Amino acid sequence: MLILKNISKKLGDFHITDIDLEISEGTYYVLLGRSGSGKTQLLELIAGLNRPDSGEIWLDGENITEKRIQSRSVGLVFQDYAIFPNMTVFGNIAYSINSRNVEKNIVKERVGKVAEELNISHLLGRNTQHLSGGELQRVALARTLITSPRLLLLDEPMASIDASLKDGIKRLLRRLNRQGLTIIHVTHDYREAVSLASRVGVIHNGRIIQEGHPDVVFRKPVNKFVARYSGIRNFFRVEFVNENGEWKAVCNNRMVFNLSENSYPSEGLLILRSDDIKLSYQMPSLSSCNCFKGIVREILPSEYGMEITVDAGEIFYVDISADTFRQEPLTELSEVWLSFKPEAGIALHGTV
Amino acid sequence: MNKYGPFNWILLVLSSLVLLFLVAPLLGLFLQTGSSEFFETAKDKEVQQSIWLTIWVAFTATFFFSIAAIPFAWLLARKSFPLKSVVQGIIDLPVVLPHTAAGIALLGFISRDGLLGKAASAAGLSLVNNPAGIALAMAFVSLPFLFNSARDGFEAVPERLEKAALNLGASRSRVFFTISLPLAWRSIITGFVMMFARGMSEFGAVVIIAYHPMIAPVMIYDRFSSFGLSYARPAAVLFIIVALVIFTLLRLLSERRKPVFTKSEYVDS
Repeated sequence: MLILKNISKKLGDFHITDIDLEISEGTYYVLLGRSGSGKTQLLELIAGLNRPDSGEIWLDGENITEKRIQSRSVGLVFQDYAIFPNMTVFGNIAYSINSRNVEKNIVKERVGKVAEELNISHLLGRNTQHLSGGELQRVALARTLITSPRLLLLDEPMASIDASLKDGIKRLLRRLNRQGLTIIHVTHDYREAVSLASRVGVIHNGRIIQEGHPDVVFRKPVNKFVARYSGIRNFFRVEFVNENGEWKAVCNNRMVFNLSENSYPSEGLLILRSDDIKLSYQMPSLSSCNCFKGIVREILPSEYGMEITVDAGEIFYVDISADTFRQEPLTELSEVWLSFKPEAGIALHGTV
Repeated sequence: MNKYGPFNWILLVLSSLVLLFLVAPLLGLFLQTGSSEFFETAKDKEVQQSIWLTIWVAFTATFFFSIAAIPFAWLLARKSFPLKSVVQGIIDLPVVLPHTAAGIALLGFISRDGLLGKAASAAGLSLVNNPAGIALAMAFVSLPFLFNSARDGFEAVPERLEKAALNLGASRSRVFFTISLPLAWRSIITGFVMMFARGMSEFGAVVIIAYHPMIAPVMIYDRFSSFGLSYARPAAVLFIIVALVIFTLLRLLSERRKPVFTKSEYVDS
C-alpha cells in the first residue's frame, strides 16, 4: 500500500501542495490532470527522482521518503520512454540485471521471458532508433517489469502511440494489474481513466481536488473543473426550487428541469452528460422526462459517432452513436426533441 | 547570372577571401619547399625526435588530464551550485590569457620554489626543461577545449535517461559509465582531439617552461631565428603534414562510431 502524507514541493513558481493519498495494493489508480497540473512531478516524488519539501511517502509500511531511488523498487515508465539509444532492445531490458553477479544464461532467460510476455521477442536484437512508439513503450515496460517493482508508475503511457495500438496497451496494462501489480497511471485523458481505473484522482494546480471510484468522480464531480475534465460540456446556471415537494432547476427564468434528488442548494450549476441526452423527431412519451424542442445547429463526427449541437433556448451538446444516427439521420436546422431523465441532472454548488 | 542576387555574390566573394587567406600561406609554404630539402629534413634525427616528443607529450597530457576533466565536465553540466559561473570562467581563463603570460605563471608554480615544483623535486623530478613540465604547459592552455566540448556533450544527454537508469537500480557510477559517457562520447572525442591539437601546436607557454627538450614548434622557431626562413620551412611543412595525418586519422576513427543519439528525439514534450 502506498500512502502519501501531506506532500508538498516547490518547483520554481509551481507548488505541489498537501497531497494526501492512499492507494491500496492491486489498485489501478489513474491520476487525471492537464499538462502543468503537477501530475508528473508527483510521480517523480514517488519514484524518488525528487525529494518532497515536506510530508512523507510510505510504501508497504515503510517510510521511503528519504530512500535512494535505486532501492525503492518503484518502477517508472517515462512519457517518452527514455530508452537508452546506445543499447539494443536486449541491452535496455537487461540493464537492471546485467551485472557481473548474474550469469549470462540467467539474464538471457529472464529477458526472454519478459519479452515474450510483452510480445517483443522478435525485437531483442534490434537497435532502438527505428522502433515505433508502441514498440518503444513495450520495451520501456519490459525494462521496468524485469525489476519486479512493488509499484508501477506510468507517465502518459498513451500519449505518443497510435490510436490503433491503444487497445492493445490497455489490455496489457489491465492484465498486469489483474496479476496483482499496483499501477499509478498519469494522464490528461479522462477516457483512459474510464476504461482502466479502479480509482481516480483529479489533480489541478498541484492539488488533488477530487478522488474516488471513477463512477463517483465522473457521475458526481465536485466542481465544474472536474466535470469538464470528465468530458461534460452541458453546464446550466440555475436556481433550485422546491415545488410541492418536487425539486426543479430553473435556468434563466424560462427553462425548467425536473430533478430526482431530495435536497439541493438554492443556486448553482446543473450539469448533464452528453450521452445522457436522447434526440428524436417525435415527442417522447415519458411524462417524467425533461423534454424540450430545439433546432439542430451543428452535426460533427466524433469518436463515439456524432456530436450534435441543439439550440433549445439553451445550447445542448448531445452525443449519439453512429448506429442511432444511421437509424434516424438528423440534418442541420431540423427540429428535434431532446430528452433526459431527471436522474441525469447533476447539481453543483457555486459556479466554479 | 541573374539566378543569384547581389547579396549572394557578395557572400561568395567574402567567403572566398577568407578561405584564400587561410589556404594561401600554407600553399605557399608547401610550394616553396623543395622535395630534396624536405626529405633531408625528414631524415634529420633532431627533427624526428622533436616531432615525436611533441606528439607523445601532447597525447599524454590530454589523456591524463581528461581522466579528471571529463567527470568534472559532467558535474558542471548537471549540477548547479553557488559560484558556478565563476568556476566556468576560471576554466575558460587559459583561452583569453596571453600564452607567454600563462607560461610565466606556470613557471612560478612548477619551478623549484613553486608549490608543485617543490613536491616534484622531493620526488627527485625537475619539471623545468622536462617533458613533464612541457605536458603541464600544454595542458594548461588546451584543457578548456576538452572540458567545454565534454560539458556540451553531457548537457545534450537528456537527464531523464540518467534518471531512468537510476530508477532501474543502477549506481551513480554505473549510470555515468553506461549512459552519460557513451552518449556524450562524440563530443568528448572531439574535445580530446582539439585539446591534443592545441597542445601539439603550443609554443608560447612551452618555450618558457622548456626550451629543451625541443618540441616541434620550438624547434621550428629555433631554426628560423638561428638559420633563417629557408631552413625552418621544411621542418614546418613536415610538422604540418604529420599533424594533418594524425588529425585526419583521429577524425576518421571517431566518425566510424555512428551517432547513437540525436537530441531532437528526446526533447521534452
